[in-house]
Amino acid sequence: MNLLASTTAGTVVYPLLLIILCAVAGVGTVLMLPARREKAMRTIGGAIVLVAAVILASTLIRFSAGVGDPMGVYFWIFAALATFGALRVITHPRPVYSAVYFLLTTFASAGIFVLLWAEFMAAALILIYAGAILVTYVFVIMLASHADQGGGGAGSDGGECDQVSREPLAAATIGFGLMALLLYVIFDKAPVNRAVGELSTRDVSVQRLAEYLFSHQLVNLELAGVILTLAMVGAIVIARRRMWSPLAPKSANDKFEIGDDNPHSLPVVGTDNPRQKEFPEN
Amino acid sequence: MTQLTLQHFLALGSILFALGMVGFLCRRNLIIMFLCTELMFQGIAINLIAFGRYHFASDPQAFFAAQSFVIFVLVIAAAEAVLALGLVVLLYRQKRTLDSQAWQELKG
Repeated sequence: MNLLASTTAGTVVYPLLLIILCAVAGVGTVLMLPARREKAMRTIGGAIVLVAAVILASTLIRFSAGVGDPMGVYFWIFAALATFGALRVITHPRPVYSAVYFLLTTFASAGIFVLLWAEFMAAALILIYAGAILVTYVFVIMLASHADQGGGGAGSDGGECDQVSREPLAAATIGFGLMALLLYVIFDKAPVNRAVGELSTRDVSVQRLAEYLFSHQLVNLELAGVILTLAMVGAIVIARRRMWSPLAPKSANDKFEIGDDNPHSLPVVGTDNPRQKEFPEN
Repeated sequence: MTQLTLQHFLALGSILFALGMVGFLCRRNLIIMFLCTELMFQGIAINLIAFGRYHFASDPQAFFAAQSFVIFVLVIAAAEAVLALGLVVLLYRQKRTLDSQAWQELKG
């Protein structure tokens, strides 16, 4: 309690507390990151992060205790879901589960957007992230991880690269240092209970957003379309070009081979068509 | 119950950004590294929308400016995801692994 200095405008967040909390959460996250250690350590790490998150949340509640806001409780629910999902994305050893936890974070962010009266952006976020981007990720995970080294099947924990993280201590120091810095800047001399400005449904309709987009951002909008088209063409070209080296390089001067772009050069499982290649290429 | 302020949303955005950064730095699976960049994009999007909402009183136009910013962030995120995953597939074909450390020779 005495860590929180009282001012006339309300309570402020004591900066040292923020930094300590970030350090504690960093230690917990390092314990949670995939590594070759006992499962109990990861549970302890989770508990440490949870304690830090609860203390931070209660600090923030004290920071702005005052007039009741009916939306407040939803903010805390969505924030907890988003943070939990993000934490699991970076700590879960299996990529598919990471993708599903990312979905949780996406839905929680969409809820936050609704609280901020950005309904269209909430819908767009779910459509684009959950509907398009995440499906692409899951496709690539399925495409690429079934034969990962170690021959891990669907039930195993994936390969070596999912089991052991790289420099967890340094990464957590950098990441949580950044978090502490950002939180410090955000809450340093923050004006408490700033006026929000009331909105009505008419103010924030999609129609107004479309008018704004097509009157102020017309060129940018068209450029966005061009970027998407270019990205699509680029992705097709990148993924289509068939460059491969054999599984293990046979000799040192084994050059990469560039396959042709003929669609029939794609190997097909169990084909009878003489113009197609059999899938396990020899 | 609490009065929500701009700082709450900024804090949430920065937490998401920092977690994404930790994941990007220490995970070795290429797919998860790019998933973490999407996490960072979401932190940015929350920041932008919150700024727009809390500046509505002084400038109603800012509300829509923030949303159009987020639209462009989503466009870039989609383009980045599709290109990055195309590259991941290409890299996977060459080494039969998603481990980013398989490409350590690129460090020079």
